[in-house]
Amino acid sequence: MRELFPAKQVMGFIFSLVLTAIALSVYFTDMSFQVGMTILLITAFIQAALQLVFFMHAGESQDKNAIYTGIYYGIAIALVTVFGTLLTLIWGYM
Amino acid sequence: MEFFERFAIPNASPLIYASMVAIGLTVVAIVIGLTYFKKWGYLWKEWLTTVDHKRIGIMYIISALLMLFRGGVDAVMMRLQTAVPDNSFLDAQHYNEVFTTHGVVMIMFMAMAFIIGMMNFVVPLQIGARDVAFPRLNAISFWLYFTGAMLFNISFVIGGSPDAGWTNYFPLAGTDFSETVGINYYMWALQISGIGTLMTGINFIVTIIKMRAPGMKLMKMPMFTWASLITNAIIVFAFPVLTIALLMGTFDRQFGTHFFASTNGGMDMLWANLFWVWGHPEVYILILPAFGVYSEVISTFSGRNLYGYKSMVASMVLISFMSFLVWVHHFFTMGHGALVNGIFSITTMAIAVPTGIKIFNWLLTMWKGKIRFTVPMLYSVGFIPLFTIGGVTGVMLAIASADYQYHNTMFLVAHFHNVIIPGVVFAMLAGLTYWWPKMFGFMLNERIGKWGFWFLSIGFCLAFFPMYITGLDGQARRMYTYSAETGFGPLNMVSFIGAGLMAIAFILIVYNVYYSFRHSPRNVGQDPWNARSLEWATPNPVPHYNFAVDPVVNSSEAFWDAKKNGHVLFPEKIKKIHMPNNSGLPIILAGFFFIFGFSFVFSIWVGVIIAALGIIGCLAYRSFEKDPGHYISREEILETEKKLGGASNEN
Amino acid sequence: MKIDHSQPLEYSTQQNQMNILGFWIFLGAEIMLFGTLFASYFTLNNGVGSGPSGSEVFEITPVLLETIILLTSSFTIGLATHAMRINNKKATLAFLAITLLLGLSFLGVEVYEFINYYHEGLTLQTSAFSAMLLLTLGTHGAHVTFGLFWGLFIFLQIKKQGFTVGTTNKSFIFSLYWHFLDVVWIFIFSFIYLKGMM
Repeated sequence: MRELFPAKQVMGFIFSLVLTAIALSVYFTDMSFQVGMTILLITAFIQAALQLVFFMHAGESQDKNAIYTGIYYGIAIALVTVFGTLLTLIWGYM
Repeated sequence: MEFFERFAIPNASPLIYASMVAIGLTVVAIVIGLTYFKKWGYLWKEWLTTVDHKRIGIMYIISALLMLFRGGVDAVMMRLQTAVPDNSFLDAQHYNEVFTTHGVVMIMFMAMAFIIGMMNFVVPLQIGARDVAFPRLNAISFWLYFTGAMLFNISFVIGGSPDAGWTNYFPLAGTDFSETVGINYYMWALQISGIGTLMTGINFIVTIIKMRAPGMKLMKMPMFTWASLITNAIIVFAFPVLTIALLMGTFDRQFGTHFFASTNGGMDMLWANLFWVWGHPEVYILILPAFGVYSEVISTFSGRNLYGYKSMVASMVLISFMSFLVWVHHFFTMGHGALVNGIFSITTMAIAVPTGIKIFNWLLTMWKGKIRFTVPMLYSVGFIPLFTIGGVTGVMLAIASADYQYHNTMFLVAHFHNVIIPGVVFAMLAGLTYWWPKMFGFMLNERIGKWGFWFLSIGFCLAFFPMYITGLDGQARRMYTYSAETGFGPLNMVSFIGAGLMAIAFILIVYNVYYSFRHSPRNVGQDPWNARSLEWATPNPVPHYNFAVDPVVNSSEAFWDAKKNGHVLFPEKIKKIHMPNNSGLPIILAGFFFIFGFSFVFSIWVGVIIAALGIIGCLAYRSFEKDPGHYISREEILETEKKLGGASNEN
Repeated sequence: MKIDHSQPLEYSTQQNQMNILGFWIFLGAEIMLFGTLFASYFTLNNGVGSGPSGSEVFEITPVLLETIILLTSSFTIGLATHAMRINNKKATLAFLAITLLLGLSFLGVEVYEFINYYHEGLTLQTSAFSAMLLLTLGTHGAHVTFGLFWGLFIFLQIKKQGFTVGTTNKSFIFSLYWHFLDVVWIFIFSFIYLKGMM
């Protein structure tokens, strides 16, 4: 019977709802930009990781090394692109 | 008639009309020829619908040579125009169009096609696979690339060429300054072929990760395969950036948005930024496969295994990541502060380190080797000093403060041709000559090949070294003419002569194909170069299932081991082989993409919608289609192997 | 075709494993695609020209609705995969159908949101910010739309053929796609809407 109950999915769903509620606090409470951004960054990345592990089963395949390498590489370069672009086009002129 | 007016050429000249006639006649000649010799069926069955990686590779390479011709003609026209001061061979607008198409064609449709063609042909053979991971997708990639190339190439006879440089900077590329549909062509041609390239990237990563022969661990892969793996990783992460940039450019030009405008909050620098976020990794997409080819060629013709295998791999992995960290060096002069320029200056110089490691590894591979100066080896040996000069001038350009002097001068033009021609073009010619017998079963003539090499190398030096000098003296790039007082005249004339020699080299290389086809012996055996890696364990030319028996490998030079150390490559018996079926879907899909792109260029929305429905229809058909592939029987394999004298054991 | 019965059906052949790995790598490319959109969005964030800014047009209700719909649909597609693994065709089809309906209602809310923007004077041509906002949301929305058709095709195939090596593989890959769209939405929700309204 335990195998039939989708415990992982239910946990993932509850977690994601909780994290969304935490993220919403930046809208409903008054806080500084820095604190708000920190909360958003933390909740967003944890949620993404939850989806990856709980729902997408990233680690279950034989090719998990290739999969994780690909995803981490993509995230790393996407972050470089986002912050590099901001550095070059916005912060570099301040 | 009003409908057709949009297709008129905005800056018509006799040259364009002449090429229009030439294109028309060529198409008619091809159609008549195919009909007369009754080759339509053969063409459709054996080539247009093929999913065989070898044939797709060959089609890529043929397209690349065609594009090399097109881009080469553009190049000679530019050198002719600037050969003497105040020349009036081309007007300013025409010159703009010529340098734009030269750049795009050479990078996107020549170099990319050449390296992807080479990867298609070689990688599955080197890893002992029967095809790539997704053969159908591979065909789609090719046909999307081909669609993009054709779309781009018809621009100059229908509607007008793009004219804002291959970098296509806004606001010059916006509708205010470039009113014709030329830049729309640029956007859609690159968009469509870019999708194809992205699919290739995914395809080859999976192929290399999942389809290697038993025993071939990652660190036992041949170096060209390693280079391909890293290249495709860069492709997968770089091309989406281009996709978005092109999409934004299309919106700006056709839907009136203000992404790259200087009004309503837009930022034209954003285009330059996004373009180079893709564009700099693109440079390494081009050069890494070239490095792979040189590694194979140098090790084969020095009779030694590759020196520093691990450091070769490590340096490529490092390059793949660092290639995403340097893009700002393309626009140091855009006005961001010293901090930004300083950071990207340092990363740029740092990327020279792994590249330098590779140069030393090749030199040490040759050290004390028994070097055979064949044509592929000549190109590789010529590459090392010439490429090093290009690399050193690259480090000069990386110095942000000094870049204010070099920026947008002929010095820069000299630099990037100095890395791309000895880097990519030499490598592709070396690789083509090297793997030619695998592709077609005969060798290219060495004598003509060597003449081609010398003409190309000397022509290259004459064409581009003077540009370093005129560039430092202040000759700006992309200027269609200059006055005699500048004193640039004589050196530009030398450049023109060099370009002429390179054109002769191209003719020699093409003639060599014809000559060798007529005169070369066909019994070259499976290993004419005394080579080392797995692809040489197949008969020449390679049967369409590649290996009759899955090879078993225990080093990066499995074939050499089998020849010299008694390693048994094919321990198993011949069994029936599963192969994918041919399909007409890829070319039909690409046809819809062509209609889509063409209609979008001219904002003919009916055509766009019809083509989009066609594309969706193709995808839906694919989703519901069942394609189990087919089996080749044991008897058929035995017969083929007997005919080709295959290496595998006959039991 | 060799079928390895020790693995779930969607992983059971070499080709199936390659399909799944290939799709993961495609998702890596998608990360970069949306990364570029975010980079451009943050750059043009303040380029509002004479048009409205984000904080002037964003409304929490439709955004929250979209978020909850998409989170739930990500949950239900996860349940569909789970049902597939315990070989329950009916449940799989039901969860798949719920997922697609949720996706459709997400699109409905998004269209409502776009119409609202239009009435507040925010269109594609208003400013760089407006165009970038609509392009980012539109790219995500286009992905969802594409997913609806794709999911429908898979629904029909499972209905007709049951669980085969082919259909389980397709439906697993589709679930990866759908979860990924949810991940992208989380970032849109956090760094476009919440950051804009903060």
